[in-house]
Amino acid sequence: MTNIERKENQIMEEIKNRVRTILTDGSLDYKQKKHHLAYIAESTQSYPEVSAEAMTALNEKVICDLFEGSAPYRPRYILPDYKLALKKGVKYLELDPPTDLDEAINFLSILYAHVPSITGYSVYLGNIDQLLLPFTGDLSEEAITKKLKLFWRYIDRTLPDAFVHANIGPEDNVIARTILRIERELKQVVPNLTLKYDTDITSDDLLIEAAQTVFEVAKPHIANHKMTAADFKSDYGVVSCYNSLPQGGGSHTLIRLNLKKITDSHQGNAEAFISETLPKYCQITLDIIEARIKYLVETVNYFQNDFLAQEGIISLENFSAMFGFYGLAECVNQLMASSGHNYCYGKHEEANQLAHRILEEMKKQVDSRPLPYCEANNGKAFFHAQSGIDIDIEETAGARIPIGEEPDIYAHINTVAPHHHLFNGGISDIFHFDETIKRNPSAILDIIKGAFKKGMRMFTFNLSDSEFIRITGYLVRRSDLKDFREEGSRYGSALFAANSMDNADVDKRIAKRIDSHERTAGQY
Amino acid sequence: MSELQANISGIIKSSVIDGPGNRMVIFFQACNLNCLYCHNSHTIGLCNLCGLCVQNCPTQSLKIDASNKQIIHNASTCTHCDNCLKNCPENSSPFYKKMTVEHLISEIEEVKDFISGITVSGGEVMLQSEFLKQLFISIKTHPELNHLSILVDSNGNIDENRWNQVLDWVDGFMLDIKAYSSDVHKKITGHTNEKILNSIRYLDSKNKLSELRLVLVPGYNNSKEEIETISGFMQSLSPEVRKVLIKLRKHGIREKYHYLSEPTQLDIAQAVEILESDKHKLLVI
Ligand code: SF4
Ligand code: SF4
Repeated sequence: MTNIERKENQIMEEIKNRVRTILTDGSLDYKQKKHHLAYIAESTQSYPEVSAEAMTALNEKVICDLFEGSAPYRPRYILPDYKLALKKGVKYLELDPPTDLDEAINFLSILYAHVPSITGYSVYLGNIDQLLLPFTGDLSEEAITKKLKLFWRYIDRTLPDAFVHANIGPEDNVIARTILRIERELKQVVPNLTLKYDTDITSDDLLIEAAQTVFEVAKPHIANHKMTAADFKSDYGVVSCYNSLPQGGGSHTLIRLNLKKITDSHQGNAEAFISETLPKYCQITLDIIEARIKYLVETVNYFQNDFLAQEGIISLENFSAMFGFYGLAECVNQLMASSGHNYCYGKHEEANQLAHRILEEMKKQVDSRPLPYCEANNGKAFFHAQSGIDIDIEETAGARIPIGEEPDIYAHINTVAPHHHLFNGGISDIFHFDETIKRNPSAILDIIKGAFKKGMRMFTFNLSDSEFIRITGYLVRRSDLKDFREEGSRYGSALFAANSMDNADVDKRIAKRIDSHERTAGQY
Repeated sequence: MSELQANISGIIKSSVIDGPGNRMVIFFQACNLNCLYCHNSHTIGLCNLCGLCVQNCPTQSLKIDASNKQIIHNASTCTHCDNCLKNCPENSSPFYKKMTVEHLISEIEEVKDFISGITVSGGEVMLQSEFLKQLFISIKTHPELNHLSILVDSNGNIDENRWNQVLDWVDGFMLDIKAYSSDVHKKITGHTNEKILNSIRYLDSKNKLSELRLVLVPGYNNSKEEIETISGFMQSLSPEVRKVLIKLRKHGIREKYHYLSEPTQLDIAQAVEILESDKHKLLVI
């Protein structure tokens, strides 16, 4: 045997072992196994061509591709233009335009099953109330409720992943209200939900309904509609883990930079960090993004072959990529400590100022780097504060204040609000309240309105003692976590949550966290 | 006028339990009742600079400032042991501060975008009604604060002329009925209640009574007759007044009153049975 043959044999053996581990893992169901097997097959391909330095950064998790795999054959986030599909029908699936609510729900149910994503489940279900309203005709509220309930059950049982995300609002309407009611009743993890809120459009009543729903199931998440809409050429959706992206398009990829790790290896002061280390790693991250986009568009030819693109339900012009980061808090605190100051992000103005400068610099780097096939954002990537996943043991999600160190609600908002405008790709913060607020939901309205007035883009809130736990970006049920530890769960996201609960100080704030198949695939 | 000062025992910038919405609550020092179950007994009295707390502070965090007639508190060494509060012979505290209207307004300005309004509480706030009037006028004529609602949490033991001082500027008053019979009232608070009953009727007649609360104290105000008379009184008020039954909680009350007992489920159920009617819903907390 030559050396090369020996090496190939060795690789083959490794693959066989990995496959076997999955096949015999009793906590995975059939579909989950299939998904992981595909990930292994993909990993046999060499990574899109990037520099040796970039490859090292990836291997050392200084830069993280969130288990997208080494050979991107579908965009990470796809937001089909469901409105257009409902209007034109879908030839590939032999679906005619629906004429009533039953047909519309059936149409969407079928289409969802065919939308590619990293997790295998569509990350976006559409602005569901706007999609279905035209079909309500003279149906009674009771009839609508019955149909939507079945629809919601279908979604939870066939797309069992907490990255699956539906939007409602900003208008108050019967579908939006019914969905909130159903959410409170069914208490499902899926779908994740965002209410687009606009002070001038959304009624206080609907916002109160939403707040009461949050008390029960820790969703919806509230998005500042005016602010977000202004960042997009046409409609947008909030998908997956609070990513805001263009409808009829999406994001080819999301690559995130670990700010803590680049601070660990940084020699020198904060000034040198901002002028040298940070720009250097931003550019490497952008190099990786570029290589992955080219692979997807030019090598795989995704946009020529997929039916969604062929039928105009998505189009390449509506795509861009996402530049993400995490661990801002650790980065700032370490830079402060190395300059001899005991200032902490979220607590001291000096640290908050430094955080702001770091974010501004990253934004500048992202905005000045042209990327191919990113027309949706004029040839640039969307800037995103990534909410974190289960393997982030030492790093705080995106630009959040570390769990357990959050200051009072006003100081919290005043710390994070000034940078929310930078994140056209989305950001989220989590506020915590105790149970007494349930008796006084209008208090939540005051805080939501105040937060948006201060320039916040998106946020959500957690109640102590809730059955639903929201940790980074997703939801999980406390009981599912327990069950998962014992015998596995129907939800891919429960594994992520179990890992997260173990890794982060999550219990400190009695909040919630979740995983997706991205993670589970990555570990085999 | 702006030289007026009030004794402020504390400010909570976000409260969800002191009226509708998110509210800033300002607590005033000094009270003219002395309830057995007071949870903030250190807000009852005014400090006479006796110096006892200064001597007894285990961390030497207190100092008498004789020229300014106040006590200086060093927050960085204080361990929050509450020795000072527990042993003050005046039911007072070394922590309350004199504040001007301007000072309070600037505190409100900081949080104005996040609140529905302010609630003043105590102690008995109406003892400082002249100050309140100035504060309320400053809020309601302030271009950025005039949307805020003003709620007053009072024990009601106040003369009519004091209500009239602030009536026009207040959105609602929240009062307690601690007992209907004067005897029982005296046992619970140390004072009779004619003035309080008059205040409740008066504020209701002006459509300014937003909430009436009853704290249920077993062995004092939970006899059938007492609850029935309270119920009759409650039913005579407008249905719009929110009626609340509060269970006595022993947490935080003075040690010498620890013999009081919390009401049982049955005590509560019996009281609710009598107090609630179709027109008058009762919230139990
Ligand atoms: S707070 Fe009480 S103990 Fe301290 S000086 Fe004043 S009256 Fe005396
Ligand atoms: S609470 Fe603070 S000031 Fe009061 S006695 Fe204890 S240490 Fe001293």
